[in-house]
Amino acid sequence: MKFYLLMAVLFCSLQVFAQEGASKESLAYHEYRTKVSVPPYELAKIKKLVAGLKTVYEENDEGHEKMPSNTYNSLSLREKFTYNMIHAEDFSQNCDVFFMQDEHKKIFGHLPDIFGESNWSDRQYNFFKENRDSVMALIKESVLRSKRMGANYKHAIVEINGWEMIPFLISTYNADRKDHDILTVLMLLMEKNKYPAFITSASYTKLYSEQAAYDGYIELNKPNQDLILERADKFYKSKK
Amino acid sequence: MIYALLLAAYVQIPAGTYTLGEKGHVLNPLRKVTTTGFQISTTELTNTDFEKFVHSTGYVTDAEKYKNAMVFVPGLAEFRWLEDSTASWRYPNGKSRGGIERKMDHPVTTISYHDAEAYCKWAKVRLPSLDEWEIAARGLKTAPGNIWHGRNHLQADTSDGFMYTAPVGSFRPNIIGLYDMFGNVFEFCSGALPGDSKQVVHARGGSWWCSKNACKFFNATDIGRVNRRASFSNQGFRVVKI
Repeated sequence: MKFYLLMAVLFCSLQVFAQEGASKESLAYHEYRTKVSVPPYELAKIKKLVAGLKTVYEENDEGHEKMPSNTYNSLSLREKFTYNMIHAEDFSQNCDVFFMQDEHKKIFGHLPDIFGESNWSDRQYNFFKENRDSVMALIKESVLRSKRMGANYKHAIVEINGWEMIPFLISTYNADRKDHDILTVLMLLMEKNKYPAFITSASYTKLYSEQAAYDGYIELNKPNQDLILERADKFYKSKK
Repeated sequence: MIYALLLAAYVQIPAGTYTLGEKGHVLNPLRKVTTTGFQISTTELTNTDFEKFVHSTGYVTDAEKYKNAMVFVPGLAEFRWLEDSTASWRYPNGKSRGGIERKMDHPVTTISYHDAEAYCKWAKVRLPSLDEWEIAARGLKTAPGNIWHGRNHLQADTSDGFMYTAPVGSFRPNIIGLYDMFGNVFEFCSGALPGDSKQVVHARGGSWWCSKNACKFFNATDIGRVNRRASFSNQGFRVVKI
């Protein structure tokens, strides 16, 4: 329920912001890059469970729904994966960092917020880490089927430090070179693993150094795209 | 020095037309706004103030009821918070990190928008609107007070004397005598932005958590958002006279 609400809010927001000067291309790309993937595994069952989570608060207040532990623990791995990917359990706060003009012309240093005023809970983050290999396999399977890697999948890959997915990330990006946040994931993996060729680069300085801001970016152009892909490939080979 | 103790509780904002927003800002575009004037509190609401409300009414906050407050400890990644069932306005950062006994002059935190509304109803005051807050805050070259000066949140930062909240009035006020408009705690405001769900509310001015590298919201332009039932340890409010 919350997921659909989020989508509705995003749509309404885009309608409003379109009147405020951001270009159509920028808004369209914002919508594209903030889409989440909806895993197919037991989706109908999980949607029903999410819809059935009781309102916590009074006064017809929708509240912040969290699946009870016994129900969550009874889910299979694939079911938990689906649940976690479409329903963030904890509150999130405050910043609308990623809503800027000309997003379609930028390669960002960090990924956009995905769940609005919600965020994954500790148990959800732990699930990703504790089932790292399975999570990577499920993401791969899902992306190959849908030809799309949602923002939630990208966040999960960074969270579990899924450097083994680099060849897959590169091939997914190269399919149409539209989803520039895949380049962001590659850079975050290199940054997370302190890959020497990356942390001594100008891109690193601009995006992750002492003076870098969280919403920092580099220009989207072919040399930058190619450089990130090439570095990530070398990083992957150095890890193998 | 506690500047606030020397001053009046409210500042009068005169009637007039004010320029708000910023050109190209997607949430807060440049525009003119007219007000008939209002009186806004000099400081953020303190634990002392909130305690009077609780003693008088027996009010139980959302975080106390639902055990879902969000707290911060150094070492968390940027924008990451921990749910702590022991945290509430009495223990803003969780019981293990101590209570408010020696922090009665700090802003009340770990309360929800819903709790702030309840206080306002009891005290016969109201929250400032998004526009009123900005009128009170902007056009004034105020240095942010209590913010996060470190590069990131992996290591504790007490370089300005405080890691979490500071007593209200610890830093120099803005030119019209308002303290902590930028920094210390995010301040709930009434009003919605286009596209908001009914669960989303807004807060402004940044907090002790905000750094220049991450959430740079210790300014008069940016507008934060949060669920109306969420209780964060960097979230408070100031009030306007009815």
